[in-house]
Amino acid sequence: MTAAIPAAGASGPVLRVDGLDVDIRLRRSVVHAVRDVSLEVAAGETVGIVGESGCGKSTLGLALAGLLPSSAVTRGSIRVGDREVTGVGERELRAIRGAEVGIVFQDPMTSLNPTQRIGAQVGEALRLHRGASREAARAAAADMLDLVGLPRPREQLDRFPHELSGGMRQRAVIAAALICEPKVLIADEPTTALDVTTQAQILELFDRLQQELGMATLLITHDMGVVAGRASRVFVMYAGREAETGPTAEVFGSAKHRYTAALLDSILRMETPRHAALYTIPGRPPDLTADLAGCPFAPRCPAASPICGTTFPPAAGADGPGAAGGHWWHCHHPVSEPRPAPHATEPSR
Amino acid sequence: MSLENMTAALGGADHPGADGPVPAEAPGRVRLRAFADNRLAVAGLAVVIALTLFAFIGPLLYHTDQVHTRLAAETLRPGPGHPLGTDNVGYDQLGRLMVGGQTTLEVAFGAAAVAVLLGVVWGATAGYLGGFADGLMMRVVDALLAIPALFLLIFLATVFKPSVLMLIIVVGVTAWLVPARLVRGEALSLRNREYVQAARTMGVRPPTIIFRHIVTNSIGTILVNATFQVADAILLVAALSFLGLGISPPATNWGAMLSDGLNYTYSGYWWLTYPPGIAIVLTVVAFNLIGDGLRDAFGLDTRRG
Amino acid sequence: MIRFLVRRCSQALVVLLLVSIIIFILLHLLPGGPARAILGTHATPTTIAAFNRENGLDSPLPVQYWHWLTGVLSGNLGFSYVLNQPVSSVLAQRLPKTAFLAGISVLLAVLIAVPVGLYQAVRRARLDDYVVTTVTFVLYSTPAFWVALLLIDVLAVRLHLFPAEAPQGAFSALFGDPSALVLPVATITLVTIAAYSRYVRSSVLDELAQDYVRMARSKGAGLRVVLLRHVLRNALSPVVTLLGVSLPFILSGTLITEQVFNYPGVGLLIFNAAEQQDYPVMLGVVLVVGAATVVGSLLADIVYAILDPRVRASVNGEAGR
Repeated sequence: MTAAIPAAGASGPVLRVDGLDVDIRLRRSVVHAVRDVSLEVAAGETVGIVGESGCGKSTLGLALAGLLPSSAVTRGSIRVGDREVTGVGERELRAIRGAEVGIVFQDPMTSLNPTQRIGAQVGEALRLHRGASREAARAAAADMLDLVGLPRPREQLDRFPHELSGGMRQRAVIAAALICEPKVLIADEPTTALDVTTQAQILELFDRLQQELGMATLLITHDMGVVAGRASRVFVMYAGREAETGPTAEVFGSAKHRYTAALLDSILRMETPRHAALYTIPGRPPDLTADLAGCPFAPRCPAASPICGTTFPPAAGADGPGAAGGHWWHCHHPVSEPRPAPHATEPSR
Repeated sequence: MSLENMTAALGGADHPGADGPVPAEAPGRVRLRAFADNRLAVAGLAVVIALTLFAFIGPLLYHTDQVHTRLAAETLRPGPGHPLGTDNVGYDQLGRLMVGGQTTLEVAFGAAAVAVLLGVVWGATAGYLGGFADGLMMRVVDALLAIPALFLLIFLATVFKPSVLMLIIVVGVTAWLVPARLVRGEALSLRNREYVQAARTMGVRPPTIIFRHIVTNSIGTILVNATFQVADAILLVAALSFLGLGISPPATNWGAMLSDGLNYTYSGYWWLTYPPGIAIVLTVVAFNLIGDGLRDAFGLDTRRG
Repeated sequence: MIRFLVRRCSQALVVLLLVSIIIFILLHLLPGGPARAILGTHATPTTIAAFNRENGLDSPLPVQYWHWLTGVLSGNLGFSYVLNQPVSSVLAQRLPKTAFLAGISVLLAVLIAVPVGLYQAVRRARLDDYVVTTVTFVLYSTPAFWVALLLIDVLAVRLHLFPAEAPQGAFSALFGDPSALVLPVATITLVTIAAYSRYVRSSVLDELAQDYVRMARSKGAGLRVVLLRHVLRNALSPVVTLLGVSLPFILSGTLITEQVFNYPGVGLLIFNAAEQQDYPVMLGVVLVVGAATVVGSLLADIVYAILDPRVRASVNGEAGR
């Protein structure tokens, strides 16, 4: 499959995933949430992980943070810096979480303990990992809150979460995740629960923080607009598998995998003629408990052929599979012809 | 014990399919399957069915005289002819257990039905009306709840003659308060749903709205509470019998059998206490298990109901 | 917070008023009217008429209610011809004893149920959880009087560890023989623990499923930190509400216990009064106990408000999540 090659960056990639499989054991079945995923993120780089709900991107994020439930079985390797995260005991995982890897979840309201003050929650990781005293943690928390752009940070320390607006809460959550200056920041749908204006502000915050702190950032989202212009590389997931990956501009500009192309086609554009039927991808995502051979997108793909149902497409790319920083995809029938303008007067395909 | 174990068993956001598209399946079947997966709940259901059959079908197969006393045969040990012995006036204990079971279950189901019916109507109406009417109706509930049931029942028992019907009404009347509260809570949140508002604008009459929309969507909470009502009613009737406020012989119920039998503890007549006592505990546990199973199947908040 | 308090207090007042109305209705439910009920079945029509006139029972109902209510508020709960003393003095003797019994039992129950419930939640689906859950389930489902009598049978009669009867006499006599309090307290405590620990267990489990727990774990917090610093506080607030709500049930249980152990509280009082058709006492007890639970519930809600910062600040504070 995709060969893992050390990517650009002074001392190699900060985050390196090799052939990761995650299975979740349910009462009656096993869900193959993530299958054979490999990727790398260098310091100071932002990689976007894109896919629809249920494609496994959140599970991937949890795996990277060492937060999978015990019903999960992982195979493959996840390395943060030079530490291995898979197959490691709970104590080591605790040392990694918060200190090496920070994670920001979707809903800032529920991510914060409603009965604990902001200052304590932001400084918590510092006390856990660096043994900081309460005062030291408080001071550091105030600094962090200032860094994330919270007005009057010292006053906010003693507030409760419900006293802050959604955007401020998300900033506080980000501050809490970054206070130990982790090497990797995972942001799982960080803006989905926020209104559009706040979304833009938070995304700008991510940009600024990355410049100042230089961590590797993994932006997990279903919203491609969040990723465009912000992530240097994008990783498109479908049904737990890698579909396509490469430099963002290239992937969005000339998508090769049929799924990526279909996703881009479903985006409404200004040029869409009025009264044109909206394009949607027919069918629904596959049942992840089934053992799927072949390409998972085949049942919904307009270009599918018999081989798509039997063999998972190997990586193919212009610069050869696995080339550092290159663009590659897993599709037997990649898009080759220039695609027509996304919304002709055809009805939904 | 590891923290993941706890959070794992809870599923929730960790489950990969949780926010993804799910193959459409009727909610009723999903819940049925969830219930069937819960072994304890199914066991509870089996116990209830078994005991109901025992109480109602049993006497057709095993005939004993539960009306005429036979003092010559009093307090016989379990043995041939009397698998569970006899009680202090000569009734066969096994047969008595069946007959007592009938009354116990009748009163329990009846009282639960009365309680749920009253409670649902009151609570749904209060929640739907909102505002001052709701406030007043709920204060009435609060006031009745404030008086401990047994205290009230002792008073009522001096006024009304005990009989099965009386017991059903009286126990039901003290028990309707909790379902009322629950359904009112549901009604409050449901009345702002779009389909309720749509119904109102279409001019559907309030009672219809209440029943077709609010009650049907609260059915989970109602069912769960109903099972707990049955369990509570059994214990309440037992307590009443113990206090001497139950029904008079030859009618009996498990609670009365237990409390009568307890008078003979020191004589060692274990067959007078353990059979009805265990029957009570089994039934109450079973209903509680069913209620818990239903609650899980409907995905309800465990801190309500 | 102030707004919440004002709201809750005014609600409580309305409830208290309604309780009094209910009692008043009960008073008039009695066969033959309150006069006959109080004076007994042998009272002559003349005595009844005189009684009615004296006590204003020939006035319209609302007027009667007003007279009665004002009487109650100034401490006049009627007179018991059976016990030959004012109802209020009987209650004054008995109420503290019930309060003491119930209070100690609830306190013990909470102190034990919280760690037990926490333990059950932590060990969820393990063997120890099943064992403890089974035990509490069975306890929960056993009639309280059987529990009491079993305790007596084993601990009092066979092992002679504790007396089977509670101390009689004045309130101070209760402390004269503390061992006599053990079994009554144990009965109520055991049954209450069964219910409370189940509740604590599900409350803790619910909290553990919350996102902020995941967030805490993602910062590297371990089990102990999560439980003690995050979960416990949030899981306990509903328990406070539970305390307030469960008061009537605890008092019902106390009634049975008083009967079994011959403990001279209000439970035994109303039971004896029922046997002797002493209606003034019965009604007095119901009124006082009802009022007490309203106040208790109010106190619990106030404590809850103090604990939960959201309620402290909120405008629309409605206690209970």
